[in-house]
Amino acid sequence: MSYRWVNHTAEVELEIEAPGEREVLEDALRALAELLGVRGVGRADTREVTVDAPDRPALLAAWIEELAFLAESEGFVATGVDDIDIGENNVRATVSGVLDEPPPLVKAATYHRLAFEPSDGGYVARVVLDV
Amino acid sequence: MSEIARIDDELWELPIGTVPGMRVPARLFADAELLAAIEQDRSLEQLANVATLPGIVDAALAMPDIHQGYGFPVGGVAATSVDDGVISPGGVGYDINCGVRLLALPLDAAELGNRREPLVHELSRRVPVGTGGRGAREGVQGANLDRVLSLGPRALLEDLGIGSDEELAFTESGGRLDGADPAALSPRARERGAVQIGTLGSGNHFLELQRVEAVYDAHAAEAFGLGVGQVTVLIHSGSRGLGHQVCTDFVKRMDARLADYGIELPDRQLSCAPLGSVEGRDYLRAMAAAANFAWANRAALADRVRQAVAAVVGHAAAAGTRQVYDVAHNVAKLEEHGGRTVCVHRKGATRALPPGHPEIPPEYRQAGQPVFIPGSMGTASYVLAGRPASMERSFGTTCHGAGRRMSRTAVRKAVDGAALRRQLEARGIVVRALSARGLAEEAPEAYKDVDRVVEIVERAGLAARVARLRPIGVVKG
Repeated sequence: MSYRWVNHTAEVELEIEAPGEREVLEDALRALAELLGVRGVGRADTREVTVDAPDRPALLAAWIEELAFLAESEGFVATGVDDIDIGENNVRATVSGVLDEPPPLVKAATYHRLAFEPSDGGYVARVVLDV
Repeated sequence: MSEIARIDDELWELPIGTVPGMRVPARLFADAELLAAIEQDRSLEQLANVATLPGIVDAALAMPDIHQGYGFPVGGVAATSVDDGVISPGGVGYDINCGVRLLALPLDAAELGNRREPLVHELSRRVPVGTGGRGAREGVQGANLDRVLSLGPRALLEDLGIGSDEELAFTESGGRLDGADPAALSPRARERGAVQIGTLGSGNHFLELQRVEAVYDAHAAEAFGLGVGQVTVLIHSGSRGLGHQVCTDFVKRMDARLADYGIELPDRQLSCAPLGSVEGRDYLRAMAAAANFAWANRAALADRVRQAVAAVVGHAAAAGTRQVYDVAHNVAKLEEHGGRTVCVHRKGATRALPPGHPEIPPEYRQAGQPVFIPGSMGTASYVLAGRPASMERSFGTTCHGAGRRMSRTAVRKAVDGAALRRQLEARGIVVRALSARGLAEEAPEAYKDVDRVVEIVERAGLAARVARLRPIGVVKG
């Protein structure tokens, strides 16, 4: 695990350091699952996820938004990435997870101090979630 | 950043130049002690960034409950010129028309007696939080979404018999912003909202059973129908996933056009567009629709409160439960200030019109517009009334709460949710919460001193205390 929660007075700020872009997105997914609190009692399932955005930071925000939307609308909490294809302006993935009744906690992935960029042979990313 | 300068006993200023690109100063209402707490996070930097918005007039303002948000600080106010100014969705926030509605029951706490715990339990049973999956579909059945977006709670009244004309009259803007256009919303925004009317949400959203602990202005309290000992219910919720999606959609859309409009910003979340642009006009239409949705949501929640009161206390008590008022604290409105029309962004800030203002219901006009300031679960909330200086100093605005001072991470380390529940119950506050973790995140320690926040806005002449409300039960999303 290479993500951490940074102190933020009102919202939730997530920082990720990972060796590759895939790992950044996987860590973001796991962090969201931690935030929503997977009870592990729901039925296992998978979903196809496709997001588009003009740049890498916006792609990270769109990825989290899509996963939060699945939790809010279907009660599907993603816990792992089965397959992922990261293009220049899009991500297509198959994610596995559980059907549950997660709290409606995450309103949005904001663009405030949003980052997803190469650093020291790996990647760093940051996103503030409105909760 | 430049050092903040004291202007007077309640006002501080960051001059132009504090951050590059500031067009006006940034001003904060606070005392020295609150300022010391405020300086612990990034909120003043965020306030200075707001002062860079094109067309901002006079100053970027912050109320004493300011704290770090995203883009705008929470507690921020910005007025932009309709001639050359912008609209910024982040200046309204994701929870468009998050706000507070106060209901007054026709009985006092002594009369409620040992029915207090059953009432809190019944409130928690009847007011859905709106969890994901199956729980996301617990909202009002049969509502026509297009009509709700266009008309707000009037649609629920006309179509489903929820609410009343009196409630609409005692709601900010009559519960409806002009110019709302359901077609301005994305399919996903509509999808998220369709099943969520009448759901509370999570985070800091709550429903609180209270008793009036003190009255400071007997005339205003009488006008608002409040007396010492009386039982009240405070509802804090907003536009749910529908509003969140509207903000998400327009932050992205405006972010993509910034270069076309020649706008440079210190923070991408301040994404904005000229008020007269296609994006700006579309956002105003969508935001108005989301605001109307939020008022309908709180109306549906109030209906469920009445159902709970009927079940536990009786139908006469439910019928006698009246709405004191309903205020928005995340919204942008075109208003007249200083002889000009400006777009007032209020992000965690409440409109506070002074006595005599024509937009105040006639019954309250002498007292001033009611404003509700939720404190925290263990402390108190306030009923205020708008005062004349709000029009001169803050675009008719005051604070919206106590304001957070601790992060969710920090407070979870310091507070055990189960222990907090026991402490609150030992103090006579019945608690029903979705999770111990969520309860801990909203612990009283996480918030500033609401008494001090309210004292500052009163000293600054923005609003005055009418009554203090003490919690006796909490339903927490």
